[in-house]
Amino acid sequence: MDKPNSSRMVVPEHEHARLAHVVMRKQASLSLRVAAVFLFMLFGLPLVNLHLPQVAGTNVGGFTLTWLFLGVIFYPVTWLLSWYFIRESNRIEAECADWRAVLGEEAGEPLEPAGVEDIQPAFIAEDIQAAAEHEKELHRGEEGKSQ
Amino acid sequence: MIAWIPFLFVLAMVVSTIWLGVWATKQSKTASDFFVASRQVSVGWNASAISGEYLSAASFMGVAGLIMKNGYDVLWYPACYAAGYLFLLLFIAGPLRRFGAYTIPDFAEGRFDSPLFRKIAVTFVLFIGFFYTMPQMKGAGITMAQILNWPYWAGIAAVGTVITFNVALGGMKGITFVQAFQYWAKMFAISAPVFVLMSVYGGYSVTVSGNATGDPKASPRFPAESTIKVPGPEKAPANSLTYRDPVVLGLPAGTTLKINKAAALGQNKEGWELLVFDGPHGDYGSRYTEFAPGKEIAVSSDARLLSVGVGTDNMTTPTKLEFLKAVELKTASGMPVPNAPANKAWLSPFGPFTGKWGYPLLYTYSLIVALVCGTAGLPHILVRFYTNPDGRAAKRTTFWVMVLIGAFYLFPPVWGALGRAVMPQLYANSKTDAVVIALPTMLENKLLGQILSGITSAGAFAAFMSTFSGLLVSMSGALAHDIYGRILRPKSTPAQRLVAFKVAAIAFGIISMVLGYLVETFDIAMMVGWAFAIGAASYFPLLLMGSWWRGLTKYGAGIGMLTGGLLSLAAIITHMLLDKKILVWQLGPLARTLLEQPAVWGVPLALVTMYIVSRLTSNHIPHDVNLKMLRLHAPEEMGLSKNYIDH
Repeated sequence: MDKPNSSRMVVPEHEHARLAHVVMRKQASLSLRVAAVFLFMLFGLPLVNLHLPQVAGTNVGGFTLTWLFLGVIFYPVTWLLSWYFIRESNRIEAECADWRAVLGEEAGEPLEPAGVEDIQPAFIAEDIQAAAEHEKELHRGEEGKSQ
Repeated sequence: MIAWIPFLFVLAMVVSTIWLGVWATKQSKTASDFFVASRQVSVGWNASAISGEYLSAASFMGVAGLIMKNGYDVLWYPACYAAGYLFLLLFIAGPLRRFGAYTIPDFAEGRFDSPLFRKIAVTFVLFIGFFYTMPQMKGAGITMAQILNWPYWAGIAAVGTVITFNVALGGMKGITFVQAFQYWAKMFAISAPVFVLMSVYGGYSVTVSGNATGDPKASPRFPAESTIKVPGPEKAPANSLTYRDPVVLGLPAGTTLKINKAAALGQNKEGWELLVFDGPHGDYGSRYTEFAPGKEIAVSSDARLLSVGVGTDNMTTPTKLEFLKAVELKTASGMPVPNAPANKAWLSPFGPFTGKWGYPLLYTYSLIVALVCGTAGLPHILVRFYTNPDGRAAKRTTFWVMVLIGAFYLFPPVWGALGRAVMPQLYANSKTDAVVIALPTMLENKLLGQILSGITSAGAFAAFMSTFSGLLVSMSGALAHDIYGRILRPKSTPAQRLVAFKVAAIAFGIISMVLGYLVETFDIAMMVGWAFAIGAASYFPLLLMGSWWRGLTKYGAGIGMLTGGLLSLAAIITHMLLDKKILVWQLGPLARTLLEQPAVWGVPLALVTMYIVSRLTSNHIPHDVNLKMLRLHAPEEMGLSKNYIDH
């Protein structure tokens, strides 16, 4: 079986699904945000070339605007996006380093990913918490049996 | 004629590369050193090494050549070669590094607990690898032809042999240092000569905008009387000359050709002449033999070919001469250069490259998809992320790789623009891929020209040596590790696998040389683009879906990867055979576009197949899928990573 390398933070198996969900969600939303900007630029440029040839052909310092963009400016823009992504992604990793904090267990927070409570009425959060506590008890029961 | 100075530069580059390799090999003793270079490489070294390995003959020679040949549309190649890393960074590099898989087959097995799937995945290392090595070999062949006047095959044989032995003896630890060194060699070689050339012929914007100020329909002209060397039909399509302007050409006796327009061959008081008609023509009587368009014409004595062209009213089709035997044509100073696009078509988007089949937007999008998604599917690139000590270092490395290769890619387009302005005769002989080697020799100062050409030749060598080495390591490693070590002889010792690695390196080296010999007429950058397209439709969907969708099953992943990858491969090979006229199917322009650039359907096809098949086989989702997803996405501090590599 798979043995975690570190005994410091053993994630119990029943938490894998929830933890994976929370962590993936945070990282996916960052990746998708940056990708959206990037794809907009990448797929937008051919459309500008096609539908606005005068804009694309504007003379800028001897170049056409579209040549200057794709041949020169494009590269620093990708560097900026990459720099932003790495900064944010490291921040997320730092936030997620302790799985208990991620799941909000010690703090006894609602178990949905951060941000959800903003749009949820309080009673839903309470229900979720109650359901989670119920589940915890179930697990405790199972562990008791297996011992 | 041998260009001695460039030859000495190349020799110095080859010798120093091998010496560095041997020196580093002395320090790599164990088998795991040999395969992955222990994970101790610093960010700076690793970024230089990844960039060094990535910048292949396609980047060094091919992009400049293809930009010279086709103009703006080709800017997508360098832009997306660089941008592919951003995509890799956003979706794949982090998860893969955390997962502890260092090759795609490792990932395939670890993610789905399926050794069988690993074996399927490994086959694509070979498909993509061979597509990538072919253009490297072409680069070697034409560089040696340019500087030593060797035949094309001899350059391939010499260079291929040297690199193959270097890999068989060196392994990868050696290559990390050598690759890093070669990045800086390439960067210097592509940039320094450009500044000298620009000081003589005008800056980047001047050579680009030269195409905007003149007559938009005009194309470059020969600066002096020249000879056009046309190869025979075995090198099709290089045996065709396309003229967009009126032209007079000297045809030697014994020329046989086909013309896409009506023609008449006859004699007047100035001698034999071959008239090409752009429309209805008068009655030339019995003194002239008339030929319908496409008829074979044999010219028995020296003759002048006279053709009016696009410039005249109601004429839009260029004149296309297809020679059926190798021939040397005389052309006067001021005559249009065949095969060169007109100024406006070169400068503007949707020119002769993406517009060749009449679906320029579709072609452009398909190219973008292939290049951006394909970077993640290159077998020799992902391996290097494993040599980072952790995921943060992997991300920092990626950032620096983007900076290093982006800075490099500012230069090839300058070469392309300069080549069009200064050395248009390369169009005529289908030698645009050699522009970075040949252009410096145009300088008035011959010695300086030879030295600069020596620098670019050495850079070109660094390019195809580094990429070819990296690919050989990946392909031989896959064979030794997966096919030999796990399928043929599962009980083999590491020493036996090392022998298998060396044998595989030599075998793949030889196969690559043979394939390289066969692809002389294809553009280097296009061939590399095809390797990307196959990677984009096979490995990229596997990595993307495998990292982000827990519902993916081994059946979904395997069938999707095979469907997308094999159909893309088939499409590209069909296109190549059609282009070489080995297959003579009449296909519509839409079909030709989709065959030449298959990513626009190949990638979605693979993704959709993965989704549907996975849904149908959802009872095969690995039972510990959540732990696997955690390994892929949770920070390494959680200590969930596991190494899938076995030493």
